[in-house]
Amino acid sequence: MPILSLQNISKRYGAIQALSGVSFEVPKGAVFGILGPNGSGKTTLLGIVTDVLKADTGTFTLLDAPPAARQRQRIGTLLETPNFYHYLSAYQNLQVAASIKQQSGQDIPRVLDIAGLTARQHSRFKTYSLGMKQRLAIAAAMLGDPEVLILDEPTNGLDPAGIAEVRQLIQQLAQTGKTIILASHLLDEVEKVCTHVAILQKGKLLLSGPVNQVLVREDFVELSCNDNTKLMSVISQHPAFDHIISSQEHLQVVFKQPVDPATLNAWCADQGLWLNHLYTRKQSLEKAFLQITNN
Amino acid sequence: MLHLIRTEWLKIKPYRAFWVMVGLAVAIIPAGNYIAAEITSQIVSKTKELIAVAPYDFPLIWQSIANVNSYMTALFAIPMIILVTNEFTYKTHRQNIIDGWERREFVLAKLFWWLALSLLAFLTTTITALVLGLAYGTHPLSFENFEYLFYYLLQVLLSLGIATLIAVLVRRSGLAIVLYLCYIMIVEQVLVLVLKRNFGEIGGLLPLQTGDELMPFPVVGKLLNNADHYDDGVYLLILCLYIGLMIFLVFRRMLKTDY
Repeated sequence: MPILSLQNISKRYGAIQALSGVSFEVPKGAVFGILGPNGSGKTTLLGIVTDVLKADTGTFTLLDAPPAARQRQRIGTLLETPNFYHYLSAYQNLQVAASIKQQSGQDIPRVLDIAGLTARQHSRFKTYSLGMKQRLAIAAAMLGDPEVLILDEPTNGLDPAGIAEVRQLIQQLAQTGKTIILASHLLDEVEKVCTHVAILQKGKLLLSGPVNQVLVREDFVELSCNDNTKLMSVISQHPAFDHIISSQEHLQVVFKQPVDPATLNAWCADQGLWLNHLYTRKQSLEKAFLQITNN
Repeated sequence: MLHLIRTEWLKIKPYRAFWVMVGLAVAIIPAGNYIAAEITSQIVSKTKELIAVAPYDFPLIWQSIANVNSYMTALFAIPMIILVTNEFTYKTHRQNIIDGWERREFVLAKLFWWLALSLLAFLTTTITALVLGLAYGTHPLSFENFEYLFYYLLQVLLSLGIATLIAVLVRRSGLAIVLYLCYIMIVEQVLVLVLKRNFGEIGGLLPLQTGDELMPFPVVGKLLNNADHYDDGVYLLILCLYIGLMIFLVFRRMLKTDY
């Protein structure tokens, strides 16, 4: 049973096509990343799923049924920015959220504790820092321990320690079998926590599937010697040579199959070239993403 | 519906600014009418032979107070506007939907306040009339002419309905309050005068004017009354239709638009 199934969702704001025929499925138990640069349509897509925006065309099912408010009560959602009543305290704001979700409010102390806000629970929301507001939004999303979480840029406004905590929390929640839909423009965030990913660009779905299939990164070997020009012509004769990525400072060479650095070093020595730099690296995530979005 | 009211209560109970505004509105009604009662009682006592009616005596008091209070509906409309526009300012209208309300439920929750504030205005007016009538009147308590208070309730419902519609359309509290006050104090008054001068009594069918036509001030209203005046039933019907129209437009706006 897919938790969320989108069929041909389109949305236009005046002259801007925010989403264009987007279709994909989020399987149960997945940590599903929606990845894309700012303005790619991630929040618009999640806005449609949560009924704050109306799609121009297309349909979707949520928890294997047509979308309705009762299903949203079973989903914890943080969409775009923390939205709370400024004159209410954190506790009172969570009481409102629990009441809308038709919950008793017994879970409020637990989520405040997870968010690290217990000590400030009776302070007014307007006195909170940006990071505390974001933590409160995460706490609200976790009210009632929902089976599905929708988190739009959940680490926004958090300091490095807060970012690490939230990522750890997401991983812990994923381990308990929850389905998490995570929109982010942060590549490493998606790679670190997601099992599946959909990549959006200018409202179009470019790719979707398991992270290791979508964000394929090629290995390359970085090498240098006293004469890199000669090295370049020699290395192109290597039986496994595929192509050169860069020749600035060091040569960055991609081979058709993995090569053992020691063997490569010996092979270069046999050709009369003594390497002073040899390092096997992975293509950066940014480059892999740019390759996908440029193609 | 009880669940909606409970949630709204959680939102508003600690909101001090709202309760101060409501408290002021509730205090201004008896205060304003006390001044009016004092002035009219002096006029009546000094002109006994000329004006034989006492507006703040039973049964005329129901009509007098309905007329006087019809100029003060903004007292309850402003807190209404603030309640609605706060949701847009804090973007909590989005969060309420995200958390699991239907859009229809969000509107119904706001309409609870529309009804509650209108009933509070009605109740405050009724109690004020009873107290002033017993204090200033020479006649015994009478509920004759009490229908004027129901006309007043309908006019408050319409006035708050207009305020709610403006609030959901412009979404900003300051602008919504200015537009609302402009409409009730200037725009409609000018249109009524222009229409009445050029097209006759049809000018009396503009939204808030329908209520004013139903609640003229005793004696003065009769003096100004003209032959073209429609039957009260017409004004009553049109007033109710306007209330329905405002609620329909509020629902339509909130069900269709992006949040």
